[in-house]
Amino acid sequence: MPAMPEVASILERPQRWDAPFSPDMTELDVDRLLTIAPFRQMSADKFPKRTPLRDILANDTRILSFRQGEIIMRQGDYGTSAYLILSGAARVIQKPGLPASLLGRKEPVKKGVFQTLAQLWSARRPPESYPRSLWGGSKGVGTRQAENQDARVFLQDVPRVLNEHRTDLMRDGEFFGEIAALSRMPRTSTIYAEGEGTIQLLEIRWQGLRDLMKYDDALKKHIDKIYRERALNSYLNAHTLFRHLTEDQRHQVASQIEFATYGEYDWSGDYKRLAQTGTVQPEKEPIIVQQGDYPNGVVLLRAGFGRVGQKFGAGERTLNYIGAGVAFGLQEIAHNWRNPNAPVNMQYTLRAIGYTHLLVVPTRVMEQIVLPSLPAHELPAAVEPVAEPASDLAEDFPAREQRDKISAETLEFLTSNRFFNGTASMVIDLERCTRCDDCVRACAATHDNNPRFLRHGPASGRLMVANACMHCADPVCMIGCPTGAIHRESFAGQVVINPVTCVACKACFNNCPYGAIRMVDIRDETGQFVLDQDLKPLSKATKCDLCVENRGGPACERACPHGALSRINLNNLDALAKWLNR
Amino acid sequence: MVEPMKRFRKQFWRGTVVFVLASWLALELHQAWQARLPNETFITGWVLFGCMLLLTLLNARKKLPFLPLLRAETWLQIHIYGGFFTVILFLIHLHFRVPHGGFDLTLTALFGIVTISGIVGLIFSRVLPRRLKVRGGEVLFEKIPAIRHSLKRQAENLVLGNQAASPVLAEFYARRLAGFFAGPENFWLHLLLESRQPINELLADMTDLRRLLTETDAKVLEQLMDLARQKDGLDYHYSLQKTLKMWLFVHLPFTYGLMLFALWHIVVVFAFSGGAQ
Repeated sequence: MPAMPEVASILERPQRWDAPFSPDMTELDVDRLLTIAPFRQMSADKFPKRTPLRDILANDTRILSFRQGEIIMRQGDYGTSAYLILSGAARVIQKPGLPASLLGRKEPVKKGVFQTLAQLWSARRPPESYPRSLWGGSKGVGTRQAENQDARVFLQDVPRVLNEHRTDLMRDGEFFGEIAALSRMPRTSTIYAEGEGTIQLLEIRWQGLRDLMKYDDALKKHIDKIYRERALNSYLNAHTLFRHLTEDQRHQVASQIEFATYGEYDWSGDYKRLAQTGTVQPEKEPIIVQQGDYPNGVVLLRAGFGRVGQKFGAGERTLNYIGAGVAFGLQEIAHNWRNPNAPVNMQYTLRAIGYTHLLVVPTRVMEQIVLPSLPAHELPAAVEPVAEPASDLAEDFPAREQRDKISAETLEFLTSNRFFNGTASMVIDLERCTRCDDCVRACAATHDNNPRFLRHGPASGRLMVANACMHCADPVCMIGCPTGAIHRESFAGQVVINPVTCVACKACFNNCPYGAIRMVDIRDETGQFVLDQDLKPLSKATKCDLCVENRGGPACERACPHGALSRINLNNLDALAKWLNR
Repeated sequence: MVEPMKRFRKQFWRGTVVFVLASWLALELHQAWQARLPNETFITGWVLFGCMLLLTLLNARKKLPFLPLLRAETWLQIHIYGGFFTVILFLIHLHFRVPHGGFDLTLTALFGIVTISGIVGLIFSRVLPRRLKVRGGEVLFEKIPAIRHSLKRQAENLVLGNQAASPVLAEFYARRLAGFFAGPENFWLHLLLESRQPINELLADMTDLRRLLTETDAKVLEQLMDLARQKDGLDYHYSLQKTLKMWLFVHLPFTYGLMLFALWHIVVVFAFSGGAQ
């Protein structure tokens, strides 16, 4: 019989600041920060003992230095940090933004007829081989290393940028990047370091920013104000629910909207760890709205995802998941407004999956301003409360048609594996797929003889989601790319990597929770591996680019002779239901 | 409300209707012109050869996935229904008679093999994926040898490794399981009969061993049985997936042979007839 261990392994319980943002932050740095606005004005007494102001600054911030022309953030990138200028200045490039080449990206160009035909012979090249002319990086920008070894991209011709673009100057004491960090939206501007010498920035990761806002009213008010001014009005202008409002009414709504975030910002890391240990389980997801509660307001999902569920037996059954742009609770509030004598409570529970950023339009604002503006045909149907909630709940869910065609097991499979994030997921019908690998060969022939996916992945019933980039709605792979090599293509928002500016830092490779990015050793035209000064092979991050440059769309989908493979937006259950029942 | 027809069903009916109409038209034309056109066989021969060339374009399309040349699914539909139509044309070309002579018989045999292998392949590609899905345990074909090797190693460690205790298990492994884990087993039984008889017999024999084992060894036996079930599932996938790949190794070479013979047939016909005059 195997011997039992005599003493159980004892480990310290993991703490929030086990991994500080930067190991280089010293007590002196913190002392210095506490003498600078806005930290100088913050009252340390308002912070709880578990998260004192001093520890937040020591663990959730880091000081960075940038030299003139170095890009601090790029328009369209995703980031999890806000910045405070400690010394020096930074310049914001207003519209029109910098061209793709200056942002480390590829100019979006569809292949012409000749380039398409040229693949007949270029497909014979060694896998992932690049001509030497492409190793030098993008024109107009250069790359250099910062003191902390991070790769930095700098503009080579700053005067030209100043001549050709409208810019604004920001000086020490100013914040930027806080809205994108808190709402997980793409950065709206490109910002670079200005002036002679170096500028110093304080980078605050989102957890720190969240706590600072929580315990310091001034900062919260400041960021709320910026949010309402910069982000909210444009959002309300674009949302169909508010399109009948006058400008004045829209401002009234904006001034009374509340915003909130739920869940963990770095959910992808947790999910990836769980997936790697094979213990993925739907964790306790924070409740945003509870079934049976009074409807306090319409919840508008701005970023992230929510799981819609309803009580079923002793538990809760998933009915749907919803993403950005969806209004939750509108049906109940509209019902109560039209039927004040027969009010209903919330019919479903909404939970945050991963990370969710949302806006809440209070019921009073809905009833007084928004609902009266909507034409009768745009109002949702009245709610018919269910007599026996445990019996046949699916019949009362608005997306009944989808539910009829997608089994509860498939819905649970898609939700627990976070596949709703994919806007172009590779789905395979196992009842049609003959495992011929024509899709893999087509991908290889289209991409330098290196197939960019694995025809295998998690499966439920006859649905398999293959290991290919899903072009996520929430692309966590794009967080932290130092050169902007991974970016959204301007054609239709596909996530692509520019091999020319990829510096093989592995940030995207490590971030992708689905393991859809691979590091591949590159070769020269002769097929020899390219080595660096230390004689280690140079690599690049590669992934499915949805054949963005090819005419006709994804080669994998077009190459399947049995119609077994499709690229589907899994955030749209209608599309999936239609495909499964084709 | 009438539910709209589903895509695959629509595809089937569209192909079938086009095939029936085209076949009817070909037979009618053949009937009408047979007596009037002296070179009717030349015409049917050229149309037949043209159709055969069209069918080979599916493979060419597969080799050029980066060109925007319709979806492979569309090409396969053309290939399937065009293939059935080509059979009708072939019969018309033969005037519904069995040909004479070694060359013509060989050509006909090649055509028959290509046609039958194509139909068998079509049936395989519609039936076997469903069976694979029902069985579960999806695995990449290329990974099967590595997984098989891993199962073998695990089984060997259980009965022959450092922790192994029972000579009964070791003897049984050497006698019954070593061969089973060494390579693919029961290929045809899995493919044709979907038979579970061999694995059930093996598991029954293993269950019979229990009375000879200590409690600890019985647990090892349970693990061995689990490995045997996994190996059987792997063999099932190997059998069906290999068949899905291998039928093309009959269909394609015979197609090349058929096209070469058909070309030679054309040359010979023109050499001895002076062409269609």
